[in-house]
Amino acid sequence: MDALKAMWETVPPATPDDLARARRRLIEEMGGRRRLITVPRLLVAAAAAAAVVIPLINGLGTPAYAVTKNPDGTITVTVNELRDPAGLEAELRSVGIKADVSFLAPHTRCAGPRFAGVDPSYGTRPHTEAELKWGAEHWRSLQVIKAIPAGHRIGIHPEYIRPDETLVLEIRDDQNPKVLWTLGAWLAEAGTPVKPCTPVKD
Amino acid sequence: MTSQVDADDATLIGRSLDDPEVFAALFDRHAPLLHRYAARRLGPSEAEDVVADTFLAAFQRRGDYDRGRPDARPWLYGIASNLIGKRRRAETALYRAYIRSGVHPAEIPGAQVEDRLDTLAVNRPLARALLALKPADRDVLLLVAWAELSYQEVAAALAIPPGTVASRLNRARIQIRHALEEGD
Repeated sequence: MDALKAMWETVPPATPDDLARARRRLIEEMGGRRRLITVPRLLVAAAAAAAVVIPLINGLGTPAYAVTKNPDGTITVTVNELRDPAGLEAELRSVGIKADVSFLAPHTRCAGPRFAGVDPSYGTRPHTEAELKWGAEHWRSLQVIKAIPAGHRIGIHPEYIRPDETLVLEIRDDQNPKVLWTLGAWLAEAGTPVKPCTPVKD
Repeated sequence: MTSQVDADDATLIGRSLDDPEVFAALFDRHAPLLHRYAARRLGPSEAEDVVADTFLAAFQRRGDYDRGRPDARPWLYGIASNLIGKRRRAETALYRAYIRSGVHPAEIPGAQVEDRLDTLAVNRPLARALLALKPADRDVLLLVAWAELSYQEVAAALAIPPGTVASRLNRARIQIRHALEEGD
């Protein structure tokens, strides 16, 4: 067994250069699976034994969205209808948030990459060792948004946004009885452009 | 902070379900030695493909990973073994070429001539013996000898009972021993 263990022992472990192509393939595969938050339809699930779809579109005169600044500095966005993203961006701007909002039809996503993320969560750049060691849960893109399932609300935590960074939101309603929205939220690097969303089939 | 630094494989795989990019850490941790293992068996160019395909398959199946197993090596080497098994022709071609030429395409050249002759005297019969093994026996033997997995880990990697690992390993060792005796 020792002779076998020693056989071709001088074959070295691969270097980063040897592995670059394999790593790139893996990263590309991950790119199509960017972190998205699925927001469950908690109220619906609790209320109905049979699955019921409550569409976000309503004709009752309710505003499509509302933006509220809370005493603790957080911002609550209530989205009743996936309509008028530019209006929502303007509302967010009025409370100090530079945002880029896209509402998506069922089973579509914005073709990427649209921008350079501040951390690896958008998948446009590999992680640094420090970022991985610190843990993905500390990446700012993942902390800036907290989905609040009840009442179609999203909580924004501005303390995680640095000057001139853009909060990019991609929100999709798949008309799924269990999932209210699929929400992608990332921070784009300060002073860098965010391309318009071109929806593609997901 | 320290718990993040020492995050085990199962923790990283769990995190990667929500944050796919974290899976790259698993690649960085295990790909260099997995590549070496595949390169010993298949040569460097095939090894790169095996590594890429192993991690792509692992990424796609990460939701099924048993997170009670902190070390993902058996899982990864199990996937790699399947992929190597599909390239059996490349493996036998490598052993045959080595027997003819005494050169392994992934070895660092420059060993001293005398050492090299001694090494060749041992390695040639070993390459012949590896070529003659049943593929299933060769998988077990090389996972132990070159990937340094334990019996239990090999059993997990190949999804076979530990008793089968032991019997395959025993059979392979006997054949290797005979080959070396004949080589003398």
